[in-house]
Amino acid sequence: MEYLLTVMVLIGINVILATSFNLILGYGGLMSVAHPIFYAIGAYCSGLLAIHLQIPVPLSILIGAGIAMVLSFGVSLPSLRVSGDYLVIASIGFQLGILHVINNLEFTGAAGGLTNIPVLNEGPSRSLVFVLLIAVVAACAVMLVGWIVEGDYGRAITAMRNDEEAFSALGRNAMNIKIVLFAIGSGMAGLAGALYAHYFAYVTPEQFGIFTSAALLTMVVVGGAATTWGPLVGAVLLTTLPQAITFLGLPVSIMAPLQGVIYTTLVISFLFARPQGLTGGTRGGGGLEAWSASAAFRARRRAE
Amino acid sequence: MSAIVRVEDLHKSFGGIVVADDVNLSFEAGEIVGLIGPNGAGKTSLFNLISGVIPPDAGAIFVESHRVDQLPMHHRARIGLARTWQNTRMFHSMSVIDNLLIATRRYPGESLARILFRRRSVDAFRQEATEKAMVLLERVGLADKMHEMAIELSYGQQKRIGLARALMSDAACLLLDEPMAGVEGQAYETIIRVIREEAQAGRAVCVVEHNISFIRDISDRTVFMFNGCVLASGSVDELTRDSQLTDLYFGGEHPQ
Ligand SMILES: Nc1ncnc2c1ncn2[C@@H]1O[C@H](COP(=O)(O)OP(=O)(O)OP(=O)(O)O)[C@@H](O)[C@H]1O
Ligand SMILES: [Mg+2]
Repeated sequence: MEYLLTVMVLIGINVILATSFNLILGYGGLMSVAHPIFYAIGAYCSGLLAIHLQIPVPLSILIGAGIAMVLSFGVSLPSLRVSGDYLVIASIGFQLGILHVINNLEFTGAAGGLTNIPVLNEGPSRSLVFVLLIAVVAACAVMLVGWIVEGDYGRAITAMRNDEEAFSALGRNAMNIKIVLFAIGSGMAGLAGALYAHYFAYVTPEQFGIFTSAALLTMVVVGGAATTWGPLVGAVLLTTLPQAITFLGLPVSIMAPLQGVIYTTLVISFLFARPQGLTGGTRGGGGLEAWSASAAFRARRRAE
Repeated sequence: MSAIVRVEDLHKSFGGIVVADDVNLSFEAGEIVGLIGPNGAGKTSLFNLISGVIPPDAGAIFVESHRVDQLPMHHRARIGLARTWQNTRMFHSMSVIDNLLIATRRYPGESLARILFRRRSVDAFRQEATEKAMVLLERVGLADKMHEMAIELSYGQQKRIGLARALMSDAACLLLDEPMAGVEGQAYETIIRVIREEAQAGRAVCVVEHNISFIRDISDRTVFMFNGCVLASGSVDELTRDSQLTDLYFGGEHPQ
């Protein structure tokens, strides 16, 4: 039972992460892979504030999310100058740089991780209560993103993603939209990180590396980029799949690379055969269109 | 007449290719300027320089009384520039009407805070913009395509949507890059009429076209570009009488 509840907590965390990543990557077309670093920033900042300054946990969670939001400038400002593949590189640099710092600072617990983080709630039904809380937060995340991308603001996001130059030439300010999308998306990732930290009471730097970027990317692509329900579907599938594989009882030396192979295969085959993901309509792929096999789109988009 | 756009000593090169070689030009209110020249002359590049897609190496660009050459694209557009693109550049996952709505001067949905707290004014803006978009689609003869995906229309139809989109902001200057490419039949007359009406409303219009008879029909003045240089300016007939220019235009192969 406890095991099932823990898996459900992980699903909730991943729904928040994939949904917010989808806002940036799928809807915004902003090719940053650094999403897990904001997850890390939320987790570490909130954990450290609660440990060292004895800040009440609910408050430290909010502050952690806020710090992730502010630090999103680290990716959104470069995104004003570079885009596409260059932004991928810049964001990887940002992610690895901060991870390197965390890995080498003593007060973050270095490579060993941050331990003894105060938990949010205690008691016999602690996990059940936490699952309910995370379900509510995840539902709010899905609704918030749904609200942002519909209507007038959503139209502007889509136009910016389709063709930023044409968008700017019509007098629209792409800079504002990028900063807002990164801030909201990263704030949500920070919130997920803080919730994680105060449930498991322990985080390590290796949880927030490129492997996690790949996992989140897979969730978004498989579920359906730039769709409301896609990241949710992707998060549920790709959180339960690895758990299912553990039941096969394979040795760790096979397990870890196997997961990597599965992610890679899924991303590539979906981008080729079904860029709109499991939940997308006939057209789509959102921000991943440029990477997908629908080269017709690319040809049409080419600037003079 | 007053200059809406003024370009002074503009220079730009990409490596060895000079796309603007000390260009001096101005577009006056109410005037239609034809911009012609062979492929690669730098016509599109001039539009890119004026609208801010590429930064100039030297020189100055003024729109009305503002110096704009260091300003970001969206800022220039708001001051009074609207352009179309040689390759149409439709927002491909959006409908025709949405393509136009994006281009309103006061876009209702640019700020989330505004959408949250000023619902009424946002709704009013959208209503106003939608009505304006309908009128423009009617004028370019595509009102019935309103809800179709822009990318699914023919090239010529996309060109007309691009023109309508550029007219949404009531900009003082219109830069039209090959508006007639792919446009056939009745639509040809329609576009000529729309462009004339916009000039009569006091806008400065600059049109790039390879269709010389169209330029002869529509322009008050024609500018000939070659290798980034403005070589001559005058009526189409004056320019085509100059055998040196026609040689340059046709690469010396076609006797005209
Ligand atoms: N961003 C760029 N980088 C490098 N070279 C460029 C760039 N933009 C244009 N050029 C080059 O500058 C030259 C002028 O191009 P431009 O598109 O302005 O010509 P044009 O007069 O519009 O021609 P066409 O009639 O074929 O549209 C071409 O040789 C083109 O290859
Ligand atoms: Mg051109």
